[in-house]
Amino acid sequence: MLWENFDKNEISILLLMVITFTIVRLLPKRLPPNIAYLSLLWGLASGMFLDFTIGGGQMDFYMVNDAQKYELFDFLYYVLFSPFSYFFVYFYETLGINKKTFIWYVIGWSFIAVGINWLLIWLDIIQFQKGFELPYSFAVFLMIQTTTGLYYEFIKSRQEVMLG
Amino acid sequence: MGFTVFFFIAFLVSSLFIIMEKKLSIAHSTFIYLLMSIITINVSWIVTEELKLIEVTDETMNYLAFIINRTIITPMILVMQLHLIYKYKSTGITFLITLCSLGALLIIRGLAIYFDIHTYKNWNIGFDLVFFLVLHLIAFYTYRLLRNRTYREVNKS
Repeated sequence: MLWENFDKNEISILLLMVITFTIVRLLPKRLPPNIAYLSLLWGLASGMFLDFTIGGGQMDFYMVNDAQKYELFDFLYYVLFSPFSYFFVYFYETLGINKKTFIWYVIGWSFIAVGINWLLIWLDIIQFQKGFELPYSFAVFLMIQTTTGLYYEFIKSRQEVMLG
Repeated sequence: MGFTVFFFIAFLVSSLFIIMEKKLSIAHSTFIYLLMSIITINVSWIVTEELKLIEVTDETMNYLAFIINRTIITPMILVMQLHLIYKYKSTGITFLITLCSLGALLIIRGLAIYFDIHTYKNWNIGFDLVFFLVLHLIAFYTYRLLRNRTYREVNKS
């Protein structure tokens, strides 16, 4: 199925995609192509991994869009995670995050992610169920951002990252 | 028991990956791993939850085994076979490695059925074979594309 009803949530997903991917295109290229592609895919994969594990199946803590069924706009919602993981890595490099600033950077991004989560609920793109609440997302984002940052550091230790 | 077996396979596959000689960069390996897990997660969701062609266990520990297989074992085997293909760079050995990798994935699927993690409804091992074969092709050609694009853009800059 493509969508249940084409309304607020579907239009919001399209708008958010246009805005975020335009920003990705407009930002000066600071990351080498393999890191840029990887950071985009990282967001999509981590979003899907978490949502298909705790958001579906036995736990089923969220409903994405209008129906429990998997539809095209559910997939586009996951694609929306890509620019944000790109921004995370991009500003990690731009701001020169190091051991002293890592924790603050991760905490800052986790608050931003909770804010975006709140926006997605307000736009009817996701609905929590089975007792899941917005503050729980903070723990989820804290874990994802920390993993992303540490893995990025690991990749960086194996290659030269910045283009200049 | 199913959980223990799948946890052990995941441990074995990950450990073998760590000690094996790497031919792909860490960024490319991760890219292929993530792509393979995205495809596996989506296809398994559509086949099990939407089309109900395969039934997945309701038992929590076996369900964890299903997640381990979907997220770690299957994508990891595909990344490993790609490393081996680029290590030997021979058509005959590439064919043999692909055959072994397909065999391993099918045996693991057989174990999932044996331990009642999966129950085929309107599905059979032939469909699994086709799916795994398509995954191998996607992994192989995506890496070629990625490598060419990366080197071209790095040379340009």
